[in-house]
Amino acid sequence: MESETLLHKPVPIDRQVSGLSTIALPWQLAALGAILLASTGHLVIKLGLISAGHAALPASGLARMVETLFQPAVIGGLAIYGIGTLLWISAVARRNISFLYPLTALNYVIVSVGGKLWFGENISPARWTGIGIVVLGVALLQLSSGEDQ
Amino acid sequence: MSPSLALWLSIVLGSCAQIFLKKGVDQKGADSKTGYARLLRSGWVWLWAFSFFFATALWLVALSKIELSYAFPLLSSGYVIVAVLSMVFLKERVSWMRWMAILVIILGVATTWGSK
Repeated sequence: MESETLLHKPVPIDRQVSGLSTIALPWQLAALGAILLASTGHLVIKLGLISAGHAALPASGLARMVETLFQPAVIGGLAIYGIGTLLWISAVARRNISFLYPLTALNYVIVSVGGKLWFGENISPARWTGIGIVVLGVALLQLSSGEDQ
Repeated sequence: MSPSLALWLSIVLGSCAQIFLKKGVDQKGADSKTGYARLLRSGWVWLWAFSFFFATALWLVALSKIELSYAFPLLSSGYVIVAVLSMVFLKERVSWMRWMAILVIILGVATTWGSK
């Protein structure tokens, strides 16, 4: 089990703060989890807006905004997004930001595919091409990750 | 405020937010519950939170007038801004391979959203 071997690794000095050593979540898990949760959060919010029949309405008036915000699925989506942000912080603590930030482009891939699966949204051939190029770029990014200290 | 000004402010502020966050976690270290609580004592982390909040608000202002197919490719220029800022303020080394990857990703985002 990878998680077990990670637990048994010695904790680096910079992770030991006032005698409290922290268990390091592997950065891959933190980064991908953050991106997946952010995308899922968006999709769940959309689900909430659709089921409430608010999607087509203009956001006019404070009352309507508040009412929309308190839809259960909207609150749920925001909560998922929030957990994703905590994972993001944990990834940022471990890797260079010039490497991590472009990874968030995977959001577009996940939201596009999720929109197709959940809401039957159309993905044109051109859009599939774009998705492929983003994935290729992320693969190149991964190749550049070995260069960080 | 004009929508395109709101869009650009949102992109720049959102990029700065990532640099602030990195400064904050590098200073405090971040993990587990104790780690996250510790972050609340970092000025950088508060700066990140405010920048993130206002960048999101400006993004929503911009989107009320600007189409997603135009806004998303512009948003991805934030990857370049973050890379440049990380070199200047965090002393990160950005290799030619990483620049290439960033350009390919931006091309991909433009292709994804530029097509209806």
